[in-house]
Amino acid sequence: MAAALLEQVINGAMTGSVYVLVALGMVLIYGVMHVLNFAHGVLFMLGGYLCHFFLTRLTGNYALAVLLTMAALAVVGAMLERGVFRPLQGNLRNQVIASLGLILALENLAVALWGPNALQIKVPATERLVALGELRFPLQHLLIIGVTAAVVAAMFVFLKWSKFGTALRATSQDRNAARVVGIPVERMDVASFALGTALAALGGALVGPLFLVFPQMGDAPMVKGLAGILLGGMGSVPGAVVGGLIIGIAESVSTLFLPTDYRDSVAFAIMVLILLARPRGLFGVRARGEP
Amino acid sequence: MKRLVALAALVAALYAVPALATPYLLHVMVLSCLYAIPAVGLNLMLGYTGLVSLGHIAFAGIGAYVAAWLMVDARLGFWSALAIAVAASGLAGALIGAICLRFRSHFFMIVTLAFGLMLYSVMNNWDDVTRGAAGFPGIPRAPGFTTLESFYRLALSGALLAFAIQWRVVRSDFGRILLALRQDERLALAKGVNAALCKTAVFALGSALAGLGGVLLVSFLRVAAPASFTLAESINAVLVVIVGGAGSLAGPALGALLFVALPEYLRVAAEWRLVAFGVLLVLITLFAPRGLAGLIAEGWRRVARRSQ
Repeated sequence: MAAALLEQVINGAMTGSVYVLVALGMVLIYGVMHVLNFAHGVLFMLGGYLCHFFLTRLTGNYALAVLLTMAALAVVGAMLERGVFRPLQGNLRNQVIASLGLILALENLAVALWGPNALQIKVPATERLVALGELRFPLQHLLIIGVTAAVVAAMFVFLKWSKFGTALRATSQDRNAARVVGIPVERMDVASFALGTALAALGGALVGPLFLVFPQMGDAPMVKGLAGILLGGMGSVPGAVVGGLIIGIAESVSTLFLPTDYRDSVAFAIMVLILLARPRGLFGVRARGEP
Repeated sequence: MKRLVALAALVAALYAVPALATPYLLHVMVLSCLYAIPAVGLNLMLGYTGLVSLGHIAFAGIGAYVAAWLMVDARLGFWSALAIAVAASGLAGALIGAICLRFRSHFFMIVTLAFGLMLYSVMNNWDDVTRGAAGFPGIPRAPGFTTLESFYRLALSGALLAFAIQWRVVRSDFGRILLALRQDERLALAKGVNAALCKTAVFALGSALAGLGGVLLVSFLRVAAPASFTLAESINAVLVVIVGGAGSLAGPALGALLFVALPEYLRVAAEWRLVAFGVLLVLITLFAPRGLAGLIAEGWRRVARRSQ
């Protein structure tokens, strides 16, 4: 039992790490721009496809392909901010509807370009097993957890101590005050979108080798990432990290007691229950514009 | 008066379609009607009240599966199964809506999304009752409406009923309250409107209409499959409402026709069609927030002004 539990906890930490990457990106964008981008999951999916493309067509190097993917999608994110989300600023309903349009367009673009069948990213780290006590895990699992931990640490340092990160936080706290002290607020919007999208791309590129690349691969991580954000408290970066991990581990551990088919529902049920009990989530911050 | 005559002529023309159309066109028309019915329900919620539900089609699924179970396992007749199934979706809408409506703006959207996915998961996995991912087979068509032509008349009648309900609601005091809630909820509250009750009521009504659409859909396809009630279908419903024109009486009809019929006519591959509609949805939010109905009304006004 203990071994099975440990196994599910490690598995959950891996999927939870992926949710954390998605949630971090969404929370950054939400914090700075007050935009809820439901299309974050399809950007995650594009990360998987682009990683496959860069790995097989351009470089043979997985790490390089991942970095190229992040750069390419950062550009896509910046373009989406300028073209779609900035003109709709302040109109939450239309922003959400536009992001639904992006889901339809990008998900089906992937089907049109790459076909409906799943692609495989061949990376040695999925085959190499690492022993942890009596359990064995593919190296890729631990790689995902490690990379996510490094990204989270880097994010905290960046947001806390760098000038740019401070400006981002200032913009998210009070847009007008930030403008008054000379922060280029519009540039912060583009930066948060580019950074958030790059994090989604990283998630897609890391998961691709493990679970195949297919057009709907981003749907579940997007919804779970959202659940993580709500759980942690909308707009809170530490909340996104903790929330994403809780969702990942809870749904993995639930498979010990419930049929695996219902693991998705477990995540959503936890989210709804916690929200009913604590509407501002675990790390509740009062978000801008919220009553 | 003039409008009434035009409307009567339109309805008569719609009922006369089977005399002229090929079976293929008729099939497309049936699907348009079946897309329009849940869209009317969503239009009442999204267009008139401002409630963006991202799980709307899951309630069509509730109606569909309740009707399927009643007809196949409980051996009930079509019409009583239909009535119970529509009531069940409305009741589910009232219960789930009451939970969702404790949240506001984006929280509401996310919770509706989560409920939509949970309901889908139940349809997909509760094998004993829903027959799982393969779908619930053996659903009969409505007695007397077994052929394509007759089923078209049934689907059209269902759609017209939905539009009549929408018209009646929008023109009533209840409809005016819904509009007031969309425009300024605090002001409406100050005027003594019971916002929670009214919003729950419109959520239930919208879900019941979705259920009606769901029952007719599975009766047409003769199988209820979870694939008909996915998140993607809920997004499509939002698309139909927004593209047609949220908060306009004819919007869902225009949206459904554009979404189902036009691409069939143009014979484009399914994925490119959805790419185009996704882009169209983004463009409409950017440049024509009142949708197709708004564009037509605007064009009509210009023509009228020029002819004066």
